[in-house]
Amino acid sequence: MKMLLLFLCASGIVLLSCLDLPASPAPKKVKIAVLMYGNKAEFVQLMQRYGKQHPAVTGGLAELTFYDGRYDAAVQNDQAQLAINLKYDAIIVNPLDFEANVDVVTKARTAHIPVIVTNARLDTQEMTSAVDSDDVLGGYMEAKNVLQKLGCKGNVVIIEGPKGGSGEIQRGQGNEKAISECPAGAVRILERKPANWSRSEAMDLMQNWLQKDRGKINGVIGQNDEMALGAIEAIKSAGLNVHDFSIAGIDGVSDALNAVKRGEMTSILQDAKAQMQASIDIAMRAVLGTGYKPMSPIWQQYEKDTKWNDGQSKHYIIPWTIVTPRNADELLESRK
Amino acid sequence: MTPDRVLGKAQQDEQAEVHSELLSGAVEPAANSVSGSSSSRDSIKGRALKLAKHYGIVIAFILLCILVGIACQYRVMKGEWSENVFITSDNFMLILYQISINGILAIGMTFVVISGGIDLSVGSVLAFAGMLAASFATSLTSVTPWSGTYALAVPILFALLGGVACGALNGWIVSRFRIQPFIATLGMLLAARGATMALTGGNPISSLNPHLRWFGTGKLGSIPLPIVMFVVVFAMAWIILNKTVFGRYVYAVGGNERSARTSGIKSNQIKIWVYAISGLLAGVAGIILTAKTGSGQTSAGSSYELDAIAAAVIGGTSLSGGVGKLSGTLFGALIMGVMNNGLDILGVESYYQLIIKGALILTAVIIDPSRKAADA
Repeated sequence: MKMLLLFLCASGIVLLSCLDLPASPAPKKVKIAVLMYGNKAEFVQLMQRYGKQHPAVTGGLAELTFYDGRYDAAVQNDQAQLAINLKYDAIIVNPLDFEANVDVVTKARTAHIPVIVTNARLDTQEMTSAVDSDDVLGGYMEAKNVLQKLGCKGNVVIIEGPKGGSGEIQRGQGNEKAISECPAGAVRILERKPANWSRSEAMDLMQNWLQKDRGKINGVIGQNDEMALGAIEAIKSAGLNVHDFSIAGIDGVSDALNAVKRGEMTSILQDAKAQMQASIDIAMRAVLGTGYKPMSPIWQQYEKDTKWNDGQSKHYIIPWTIVTPRNADELLESRK
Repeated sequence: MTPDRVLGKAQQDEQAEVHSELLSGAVEPAANSVSGSSSSRDSIKGRALKLAKHYGIVIAFILLCILVGIACQYRVMKGEWSENVFITSDNFMLILYQISINGILAIGMTFVVISGGIDLSVGSVLAFAGMLAASFATSLTSVTPWSGTYALAVPILFALLGGVACGALNGWIVSRFRIQPFIATLGMLLAARGATMALTGGNPISSLNPHLRWFGTGKLGSIPLPIVMFVVVFAMAWIILNKTVFGRYVYAVGGNERSARTSGIKSNQIKIWVYAISGLLAGVAGIILTAKTGSGQTSAGSSYELDAIAAAVIGGTSLSGGVGKLSGTLFGALIMGVMNNGLDILGVESYYQLIIKGALILTAVIIDPSRKAADA
C-alpha cells in the first residue's frame, strides 16, 4: 500500500515535470536560470511577469526558468549549483542576503557561466553585471517627499524593514539623510521600529503608536509600500483622517498605486520591469556576444540615466520614479 | 450504542472523575489531602498552591498589566507623557482587536492540542481561506478565472469551506495513516501556502468589496467586529468543549487514546472533527485578516501557527494532550497582546520584545502546575 502510494506520487511528479518540457527543443535557445529569493512578494511576481514579457522570451530566443529561493540563502546557493549542473547558459539572481549569497556568483564564475545580480546587492565584484536601484536614494526620496508636505517641520515615525537587512539599512540611511537636511530639531523621529515588510504587522504597530502619540504624529515613512498601507489602515481604524498625515512608501505595488490615486500616500516606484528586462538583455549579450542588440524598450525609456554600453557596464542603476496620480493609471493599466 | 453505555458503572465514574479533575485543571497532590492534620503553614501553602493552579494565568495577566501600567505611569510622572495611555478603555479595546485573529486561531489550536495533536498549518490555511474569500469579493476580474464581486455569502462560505476542508484533510491523514500530527500538518503548511499562491499565480488580490471589509473594519455598536467574532467563537467553543459529550471525548482521546478507544470512543472521528474545527477557525481568521488589511496576500499569516501554539501553551494547555482550558488560552492570547501593545507603547526595541516573548513562553511552561501534577 505504502509502496504503491509512493510510486503513484513519484510517477505523478515525473509526469508533471514532463508537461513543462518543450515537445521538440528548438535549436539554440538561450537558457537562463532566474533565482528569486522567494516568490511571496508582489514585487517578485512582477519581476517574473515582466521577465516573461521580454521580447527575447516572447520571440523564442530565450527561455527563462524561475527558481523560488524560499527566503533561505542556503536554498538559493543550492539552486545555483543545480542551474550549473543543468548547464544553463546564464544565471540571473535576485539574492536574499548581501553576504550569504556571494556563493552564487563564485560558483557561476568557476563554471564560466555569466551571472547577473538583480534588484538586491551582493558583496562581491565578480559578477558579470549588477542591475539595481539605489536604496539609499530611494529612502532619501520618500522621506524628502514626506517632509516636503510637512514643510520640514513636525513629528514622523519610521516603519522599518527586517532589522539588519540591506533594505532596512540603506533605505534607513536615506531616510536619515533627508531628515538631517531639515533645520536642526525641526523634525523629530517619534518612533522607529521594524514591521518586516508586512502590512498586518505595520497596522498593529501603527495602532499602538497612535494610541501612545495620538495627535502628535504628522508623517509616516514606510520603508516599503506594504507597511505604509498598513499604517493607512491603522489610521482609518483609529477614526482619523488619512489626509491629515503625510505618508510615503517604496516599491509601487498595485494597492499603493491605488492609494496614490486617492491622495492617501506617495510611492516611489522601483521599476521591476526595467530591473528584470535589463538583466535579461545583459545575460543575452554575455551569451551571444557582440552581435546582440538589446531588445527591451526600457533602454529607450531610461536613455538619459541608464546607458546600455554594449552590456559591458559593471553596474546598471535603474532610476526611481515618483508615482503621481497621473502615471499611476498608466502603471496599473500595464499590469493588467 | 453510545460509548457511555459500553462503560461499566465503576469505570464510568472513574472516567468522569478524571474528566472533572482535568477540566478544573487541579489534580491535587496526595500530600495536600492529608495536610489538614499537619501544621497550618502547610495548609496555607496548599491553599496558595491551589489558588495559583486555578488562577495562575489570571494573576500573571494582571501582574503584567500592572507592570506595564506602572512603567507607563513612571513616564507620566517624569513629565514625558501627559497621560497614561496604556490604562484606557480605548487601549484595552485595541488590544482585544489585535489579539482577535491570534485568539481565534488559538482556540482551534487548543482543541487540537487537548486531543493530543498539533496543527502547524493554521497560518497557511488562514492565507488560503483569506485568498479564496478575496477572490469572490473583488472588483478585479482577471486575477482568477472566477474572480469578481459576488453576494457576501459566497466569499464567506468558500473561505469557511476551504478552511474546514484543509482541517478535515489534516485530521483524516493523521487518523487514517497514523502519521504524527506534526508531520501531517507540516505537509499541509506547505501545501496550503502553495495552493494560496497557485490560486492567483502569486499575485495579491485587492480592491475588495466594502461588505467583506466590514468584517475587519466595521463596528457593532462601539465594538469592532473582529472582537465580536472572537467573543462569539470563544463562547461557542467553550460550550462545545465543556458542555457536550464531544468535548469530553476530546479530552479523553488526548488523555489516553487507547483507553478512550477501548471504551468505545471513535477516536479517529473525534480527531477529524477536531482538526476540522481548527481549519474552520483558520478560515474565520482568514476572513478577518483579509478584511482588516483590505487585501488577500500570499504571505498572510506566516508563522501565525507559532503564536497560536504559544497562546495555548502559556494558557496551560499541555502539548502531551488531555489537559487544557479555553479560558487559559484566552488569557494566553491576552498576555501576548498586552506584551506587544505595551512594549510598543513603551518603545522597547523589537529584539528585546522577542527575548521577552520567548522567556514568557518558557516561564509559563516551567511554572505550569498542571504539568507538575501530570508528572507526579
